[in-house]
Amino acid sequence: MKRALAAVAASIALLWIVGITSGHPDLLRILASGSIGSTFAIEGTLLKSVPLLLTGLAVVVAFRAGVWNIGGEGQFIAGALAAFIAAPLGVVIAILASMLAGALWASIASLMRVWRNAPEVLTTILLNFIGIELLGYCVNGPLQEEGGRYPESDTVAASLPQLGVLHAGIALAVIAAIAAWWLIYRTKEGLRLRATGFNPSAAHYAGISVNAQIARAMAISGGVAGLAGGIELLGVTHRLFERFAAGYGYSGIAVALLAQLHPLATIAAAAFFGALVTGAGELQRAANISSSVATFGQAIVILLLIMRRKTT
Amino acid sequence: MLAIDHVSKSFGATRAVDDVSLTIERGEVVGLVGENGAGKTTLMRIVAGELTADSGTITARTGEGAGAPLRIGFVHQHFMLVSDFTIAENLALATGARPRDAEAIIERSGIELRDVNRRARDLAVGEKSKLELIKAIARKPELLILDEPTSVLTPYESDELFRVMRRIASEGTAIVFISHKVREVVEVATRVAVMRRGRVVVESSKMNAEELATAMVESPRGDFGRSVESRTGEIVAIVGVAGNGQRELADQLLREHPRTRLGFIPEDRTRDGLVAEMTIAENVALIADDWRAATRHTPALIEQYAIRAEGASQLAGALSGGNQQKVILAREIDRAPELIVAAEPTRGLDIEATRFVHEQLRRAANRGAKIMLITSDLDEAFDLADTIQVIYRGKLSERMTPGDASSRVAALMAGVA
Repeated sequence: MKRALAAVAASIALLWIVGITSGHPDLLRILASGSIGSTFAIEGTLLKSVPLLLTGLAVVVAFRAGVWNIGGEGQFIAGALAAFIAAPLGVVIAILASMLAGALWASIASLMRVWRNAPEVLTTILLNFIGIELLGYCVNGPLQEEGGRYPESDTVAASLPQLGVLHAGIALAVIAAIAAWWLIYRTKEGLRLRATGFNPSAAHYAGISVNAQIARAMAISGGVAGLAGGIELLGVTHRLFERFAAGYGYSGIAVALLAQLHPLATIAAAAFFGALVTGAGELQRAANISSSVATFGQAIVILLLIMRRKTT
Repeated sequence: MLAIDHVSKSFGATRAVDDVSLTIERGEVVGLVGENGAGKTTLMRIVAGELTADSGTITARTGEGAGAPLRIGFVHQHFMLVSDFTIAENLALATGARPRDAEAIIERSGIELRDVNRRARDLAVGEKSKLELIKAIARKPELLILDEPTSVLTPYESDELFRVMRRIASEGTAIVFISHKVREVVEVATRVAVMRRGRVVVESSKMNAEELATAMVESPRGDFGRSVESRTGEIVAIVGVAGNGQRELADQLLREHPRTRLGFIPEDRTRDGLVAEMTIAENVALIADDWRAATRHTPALIEQYAIRAEGASQLAGALSGGNQQKVILAREIDRAPELIVAAEPTRGLDIEATRFVHEQLRRAANRGAKIMLITSDLDEAFDLADTIQVIYRGKLSERMTPGDASSRVAALMAGVA
């Protein structure tokens, strides 16, 4: 907790120094006003935080079981594609389809791990590439908009209940965080999942099937990442396009690390990164500072965190 | 004469030959045995220069001074004859002699093969095999490699082959005899190297057929030669030098019994016993059916087993070794399992903690549990056990009373009994 806060504080300080030295002394002020300075800004931050929270949770569940699911991006896309296809059957079915698709996409990697000991760090990344290409094919082929001019789909057939620009997915994401916390800390299976992540050998000798734990954690993780894709489609973009995933899958890793793999802390971590991204958009518009400042801030936080992590 | 030094060779993902070192001296008959696919032929093809090793070196010292290549005769498993040539022509081709000298060559080889004017294609497989052998011998090799030569020979022909092998070995030729037939190898080889999955696993100059057969196949997991049984309330000590199959034995017992009815105290408590990053209560709850009840019960366990801890929510990794062992003991014994497997339960513990562990095991036995104590500490075994069995190279000895065992254990553990 302390460590995470220190990393956040240090990254803010560094951003401030960057602002001063590059002739933008009000960089932090613009960041703040652009992310939490108005209702509009807060809404933007919330919208950005939802996919980050979910992909962050996906990483938390997998990492807790000792599986390195780097495939959030691909699972996010799989979820969105499934939600798009299932949307004519209603928004509930579409949401469920997104979770199922994400779970299946992730399970390809865990099956390869369990059966052939293929490292999931590699397989999940490779599945990301496949997912990205698959999405590209879909929006240029079978799912392309009716006019056939742009590499994007038509508007999806269903959408989440909206409240202004906000959507019901925010509630779903928070519920997912609480459910993940409950699973990990308040159930027997959560105990076994954590034991598997910390010490697979001791878990094995305690009578736990390590492979089953890995497979289950991956399926849940992929399901949550798929849900993120489904919500983003049904609540925000309403259509698919090539750069739909926009790095949310990878940013989830940063969110999870900042949250120190705690599901509830993930809410705060996602909000922080969501604010950073949203504020950076304002920097671009108001001060013509590249919005990649957000990526910079993210990277600083993670670097500070892993540098301080002692190897035992 | 020939030194194979750390030679490895892979085909794709398969390690056909895996870090093999072996020396072969003049006049030796080395039996190279192993199951099909163990890497015997590949190793010899590397020696003969037909294949290049990925790593490692092969050094030959010939009788003809440095630099001269070793003369190697290689009789392959498959025939390398020109089908349309006669026996005489095939011999001439291989040796550089004239066809009409063929009969003389055959006679010198000591192998019977009549009518040199028959074509190779008309020969019986046994005769083709003999012809290959004659070809190889005729070149007076310093090293003769025979790859499964008896597979197509009748028993009588095999005996003839063995006589020839002994004779040329006595003349100074080194012979490598690749075979998977144990009886033949024992009969003819002066030294045996057993290969398994690309490695030389055993090398010995005195092995009987049974030992050889066991060495060739990987000891099937769970086959310990004898069953391990303990009666209610009995403490059976399995003693042995570490690495003689104790771990496999414990794993087998774990597989055979549902975890909920088995208490297991692993040899390596930090790796296999506790999750250091979780609390004492969580570690206790890990194997319980009702994890909430186990969590609630943990403070009582800490009290009862005199575990020096700040409380049930202290991280297991923060405890001393002795107290970690007590947590495991409390967790495993308190459920009153039918069978308790305790592997090196007092290793690294001080006298007081050792006494405590022993007392708990005795108490569990008195209560009716069967105890399997796997230990390399003989004092511990004789102190606690009702019955002693020795484990050596994965095999268990018969059951002995501590009285009988005292005079025999040392020899059994060293494998000299």
